[in-house]
Amino acid sequence: MDLIATTLATLVLLSAFWLLIARRVGATVNGYAAQSIVLGGLAIALFAGSGQTDLLALGLLAILIKGLLIPAVIERQARPVYGLRELQYQVGFPTALLLGAGLTLIAFVAAGRLPFHPGLLSEPVLGMAIAVTLLGLFTTMARRDAVVQLTGLLAAENGLILVGLVISSGLGLLIELSLFLDVLIGVAVMSFLITRIHETVASTDTSELRRLRG
Amino acid sequence: MTGAALMLCVVLLPAAGAAASLVVPERAMAVTALLEVAVLGVALALLALAVQGPAIDAFDHWLHLDGLSGVVLLVVAIVSVLAAVYSAAYMRHELHEGIVRGSEVRRYFAVLHLFVFTMVAVTVAGNLGLLWTAISATTLASAPLVHFYGSREPLEAAWKYLVLTVAGSLIALLGFLILYQAGVGPLGPTYNFSVAVVAGAAAHLSPLLAGAAFLLVLVGFGTKAGLAPMHAWLPDAHSQAPSPVCAMLSGAELNCALLGIFRVYALAAPAAGGAMLRTGLVVFGVASMLVGIVFLISQRDFKRLLAYSSIEQMGLISLGVGLGTPVALLGALLLVVAHGLTKSLLFFATGNLLLRFRTTAIGEVHGVIRTMPWTAILLIGGALAIAGAPPFGVFIADLSIVSGAFAGHLWALGALTGVLMVTAFVPLVLPFHSMTFSPGARTGGEVGALALAPAFALLGAVLVLGVWVPGPLEQLLHSAMTVLPR
Repeated sequence: MDLIATTLATLVLLSAFWLLIARRVGATVNGYAAQSIVLGGLAIALFAGSGQTDLLALGLLAILIKGLLIPAVIERQARPVYGLRELQYQVGFPTALLLGAGLTLIAFVAAGRLPFHPGLLSEPVLGMAIAVTLLGLFTTMARRDAVVQLTGLLAAENGLILVGLVISSGLGLLIELSLFLDVLIGVAVMSFLITRIHETVASTDTSELRRLRG
Repeated sequence: MTGAALMLCVVLLPAAGAAASLVVPERAMAVTALLEVAVLGVALALLALAVQGPAIDAFDHWLHLDGLSGVVLLVVAIVSVLAAVYSAAYMRHELHEGIVRGSEVRRYFAVLHLFVFTMVAVTVAGNLGLLWTAISATTLASAPLVHFYGSREPLEAAWKYLVLTVAGSLIALLGFLILYQAGVGPLGPTYNFSVAVVAGAAAHLSPLLAGAAFLLVLVGFGTKAGLAPMHAWLPDAHSQAPSPVCAMLSGAELNCALLGIFRVYALAAPAAGGAMLRTGLVVFGVASMLVGIVFLISQRDFKRLLAYSSIEQMGLISLGVGLGTPVALLGALLLVVAHGLTKSLLFFATGNLLLRFRTTAIGEVHGVIRTMPWTAILLIGGALAIAGAPPFGVFIADLSIVSGAFAGHLWALGALTGVLMVTAFVPLVLPFHSMTFSPGARTGGEVGALALAPAFALLGAVLVLGVWVPGPLEQLLHSAMTVLPR
């Protein structure tokens, strides 16, 4: 059981690295979809081990909403740029990888230092979960493409769902439902703006927008 | 049970306003403002109930209202009513000029009421997960309003606003999850993650986890509250949105983010020890004041000027709470009210300028005193009020925070705060003086009585606050003080 959970959590972490370095816009969205499905699988595996039904609900929702629905929404809004490679980045490939590794290290050290009461998952998974969160936020800050920035935020949120699984076996179904709703509305608002960005500057490179100063 | 029913009522009324906006004719949108009037009425009844006794807690701790959230609810309700009324005047003018279409106005009002709904939800949230969700939802509801005019600059501002504040919210969520874990020791692995329950066990939380949770929430929601150095989005969003929305963003929404920070501060302080947490608030507070003032000087855009002033004032509020002496706390809480009202007043007044002159450049607005004498009174009164001149509310609040620092024997900090406030005075007042009194062409005239009334109501209110804090408000502020650590 522990082995399966740790393996799945490692896959979630690896997909966070994939988002950080993937250059094609569509590849980052697919990476997010894969990450969400693995995360959902992890929750379902935990349900199989513990019998907590809200974990089953969480797993199914993660697969359906984050693995399928959200990537479909983003693809529909961002189709023109989906196959494009991002040409300009804030941070280059080797630097990004190096900083990502550094963030992962920080996450593991932090997880080791804080006095957690272990639940269904062990402490290394907490380190991975915090690392996924940090990597997602870093992806958003390091990249200029609006679609990739959105995907980074969504990946960070996946990391937080994983943190929630480690420390509380889920915060209760109602809160998780409202979190899913929040994410869904966020994706709707942001993909609407992505369409507008594309109409305005004929790409989704947010640095093209830059005019406001001072 | 009345408290529970009133809380449910106050949060559902704005949602009804959103629904009403979809069916009411465009020219009669002012009617939907009546629902916000009802919100204010219910909020006042609720506050009258809240100051009399202990916090109102209902629905298995899902909803909760105490003095602290009461102060924010008061500001949110007042600013929302007036912003809805002002929006009616503002949008009528934009429709008349052919700048916006009827369908856009309808959508604007629907989203405006939804935005109020999310902010009111923040103030009555008792479950901490719900509190986080509501604070994040304020971003999602207001971003379309920032993007309202649809051109390139509002789009850039809305995107930056979304990306940075959502990232901040996620950092805050990590803080909330760690706060949950901090309570597992005393409360068991599954417990009701609510203000009332966690406050009951606050002294027994894990100190390290509680401290870490607070710092994450401070950085995360500090981004949303515009605290430096995470403020980069604020001047853009708060200057590109339509003026009534700017009033709500600066006057009401920032306080909702602060409420999230102060809530976790109050819960974490008993276990983690006040000193470290307090330092965090003071450091971010002073940094925000410095950044705000640096950008106030030589600012050429009057809406950005007001936005940087908001950064400075948010810094001052968090500094006041961080100082923790009774006088400073009272000053900080009074500043939440005084700043919210004064900043809204200024965004309403400059909104009139914008409708007439079609620019936000300070250098392109001349002779307001001759063409728009009533707006000129608002501009000068508002500028003096926000800069901290007597006899306005902000002055009393500023004075309390500085004397609170001295009362706590923090001489250097008190002196620095005093110097910063005085430094901000000229760069805040001078631009409004030059726009009002400089010689210029005689064009236009006032926008209309409905566009002036909300700002005059606020000018009256901040004048009253400067000379006399009404009894019930004083009770509310004192009740809020008891929630915050000293």
